[in-house]
Amino acid sequence: MANIESNEVAEKKQYIVVKLGSEQYGIDISYVDNIVRMQKITRVPKAQSYFKGILNLRGEIVPVMSIRLKMGFSDDVFTDVSRIIILKIEEQGKLGVIVDEVKEVVNLSSDEVDRPSHDTKDGKNTFINGIGKNGDELISIFDINAVVEENY
Amino acid sequence: MDVSQYLEIFIDETSEHIQNLSDNIMILENEPDNKDTINEIFRTAHSLKGMAGTMGFKRMQHLTHDMENVFQEVRNDAIKVDSDMIDLLFQCLDAIEGYLAIIKETSDEGTNDNEAIIQKLNAFLNSVSDEADSSADVKTDAPADTDASSQEKYLSLDLDESDIKKLKTAADGGQKLYGMTVYVQKDCLLKAARAFLVFKAVEEYAQIVVYSPSSQDIEDEKFDFDFSIFFTTDNDLDTVVKAAKGVSEIENVVAGEVAPEDYQIEDAVIETAEISVKSSSNEKKTAPAVSSNTNSAQSPATKKQSGKPVSNRTVRVDIEKLDALMNQVSELIIAKNSLVSLSSSEAGIQNQSYQEQIEYLERITTSLHESVMKVRMVPIESVVNKFPRMIRDLSRNLGKKMELYMSGEETELDRTVVDQIGDPLQHLLRNSADHGLESAEIRKERGKPETGTINLKAFQEGNNVIIEVSDDGNGIDTEAVKSKAIERGIVTPEQAENLSQKEIIDFLFMPSFSMAKEITDISGRGVGLDVVKSNIEALGGDVEVKSKFGEGSVFTVRLPLTLAIIQALMVEIGDEKYAISLGSISNIEDIPVSDIKYVEAKEVIHLRGAVIPIIRMNQILDIAPPAEEPESLTVVIVAKGDKQVGLVVDDLMGQQEIVIKSLGKFIDNSSKVISGATILGDGEVALILDVNTLM
Repeated sequence: MANIESNEVAEKKQYIVVKLGSEQYGIDISYVDNIVRMQKITRVPKAQSYFKGILNLRGEIVPVMSIRLKMGFSDDVFTDVSRIIILKIEEQGKLGVIVDEVKEVVNLSSDEVDRPSHDTKDGKNTFINGIGKNGDELISIFDINAVVEENY
Repeated sequence: MDVSQYLEIFIDETSEHIQNLSDNIMILENEPDNKDTINEIFRTAHSLKGMAGTMGFKRMQHLTHDMENVFQEVRNDAIKVDSDMIDLLFQCLDAIEGYLAIIKETSDEGTNDNEAIIQKLNAFLNSVSDEADSSADVKTDAPADTDASSQEKYLSLDLDESDIKKLKTAADGGQKLYGMTVYVQKDCLLKAARAFLVFKAVEEYAQIVVYSPSSQDIEDEKFDFDFSIFFTTDNDLDTVVKAAKGVSEIENVVAGEVAPEDYQIEDAVIETAEISVKSSSNEKKTAPAVSSNTNSAQSPATKKQSGKPVSNRTVRVDIEKLDALMNQVSELIIAKNSLVSLSSSEAGIQNQSYQEQIEYLERITTSLHESVMKVRMVPIESVVNKFPRMIRDLSRNLGKKMELYMSGEETELDRTVVDQIGDPLQHLLRNSADHGLESAEIRKERGKPETGTINLKAFQEGNNVIIEVSDDGNGIDTEAVKSKAIERGIVTPEQAENLSQKEIIDFLFMPSFSMAKEITDISGRGVGLDVVKSNIEALGGDVEVKSKFGEGSVFTVRLPLTLAIIQALMVEIGDEKYAISLGSISNIEDIPVSDIKYVEAKEVIHLRGAVIPIIRMNQILDIAPPAEEPESLTVVIVAKGDKQVGLVVDDLMGQQEIVIKSLGKFIDNSSKVISGATILGDGEVALILDVNTLM
């Protein structure tokens, strides 16, 4: 995945652009281990509601989270283009998140990413730590740590 | 020389030596005259000194050196072992352990000189040399082999009878008899080869009569950094010394004329025993003492056996390598399982010999798995053998008389479990000693023997290992616990009335619930039983208490034999698949729905005289119940100790070997119904039910 774009410009970061509903989100590629197609997910009783369960990633058990449910959106509808992005988080291991579609990989330099415009102190959890501008399109950049963290 | 690569070996061996010392000092406390024990302590201190020296840990070397000196005197009967001495020895031991702990963390021994201990040790020594300067002539010099002044070790060797005879015969031959001690450089890697070269060089000019240690031992590198020989020659002594010094990596050679009369027959055992230090520690592993109380009686016997060196047949392996091996075996089993499920589903491969090969493969993987498991198993001895010492110290600190009896130290558990079981057990023992046992006066009043008894018993039960810690002390005062719980606001007085004995005792396992009236440094801070419980549960085990007020309590710790691969029964609940460990299943029953009875509004079945509660697994696991209630239920009866419970499942799928995998850290599993996951032959993931939590 990492060699899709090999030009290394300082301050430029690569993001995987995914779709959740009609919105576009960016995931810092350094967290991404793998992207897999939808497959059988085994439900885990008593787990947090936004955990869909666990799957078998080549012999490894990986929990799968519905980022839609975690962000308070409607439940996932699985289609042919649904994908599970396997994130690799230091210490805690791997975690899959379900997205509606994977679009592309973009390079964004730091001046193309704005701090989120809306006030983050409105008491609601925010999972975004920047807005990227890719031509005309806006990409919300996920704050991976917030996504992974247990919210209350 | 870079010794860092040896650090791990050093740490392992030092821990072994420390344990050995601790055991022997305990024996010595009861039998101050036990020669074997005294010799063993001397040798262990000596080995520690040598090892510390090699690794460049000067402070540790200094301390052990002084210990060794003191024991040299004890060996010579110049010092009597008394309780002061035992206390001091334990202080030494703690100090050495302290060094080791620092070394483990920082690869350096730290800066604590332990001056006080060393001074006390020297005080013992001085008391001897004052009163007995005549009797301790040559021997007092002997241990001081690091001093340059007494390098002529050959003068003070303890030779056995046959060697002395040889010296005599040689001296009678008319040639001059010389002794020589050769010091090998401390960083010399091939000591035996250097020794051989020295012998060869010497033999050009002289005839070697006696080797010390024996030539066999020198060949096997069973010596520290020096060895001595006796030879006769007509040549000039200097020529011989020069020849010996000509060998590289030889630090120093000292020699002089000797007479056979200088050597008396000392303890003949010493020579042979010195050899056996290594082997006796091996032996301890394979044949652990039955009980530390019988240790004292037994140790002389084991020591006699170890007179002959046992060839070293064990290999130290890094646990990580074993983990890797275990993972690969797990992968293999998963692959095998998928082959098995393929062969039973695909019509195309119903070939006879193919089936046979699959069965063959199954047998091999199963036995491979068992072998790997066995390799990972170690006796719990390595953990529990520090407890007698601990109880001894507790007994002193608390001013209570108590005795610890241990059995089943040879019971084996997976290494990772053994590594983590020490703290919880220690907590339980401290708990028994501090809260459990009453003071001597109360014991007398109650008609109990003045000395309290604590038992630690380990044994295997099915797929579990049980460790019981029991005492004949006060037991748990459930009334007191109840009022404490009310006082803390955990329950209301009304609720408290309806609590069962067990529910009350469970309060003790709640965080920061301490029953101690005053805080001692042993227990009472409220960090205790809850930590014990969570530690043991983290290992997949559980802990239970039975107690009778006034008579004592029993803490039962149950641990899984293995962490990685188990035989399991696969069941279907709804359309989901679950695994239940075969070890906890006692039987499977088909129960007509009409046979279900109700006790306290809970469903039970009456089975061969036993009333067993049943649990609808679909309710526990949030699965929709089957559309129509079937006429009979499939009930898997699982047992824990003497408790049984029946689990209602929809279908049985058969037995399978499964590899346990963790759910990871993200998923909240605080209900603990699921103990892990496994990958089935077709790649599907099934969850493993932890039936212990359902009882």
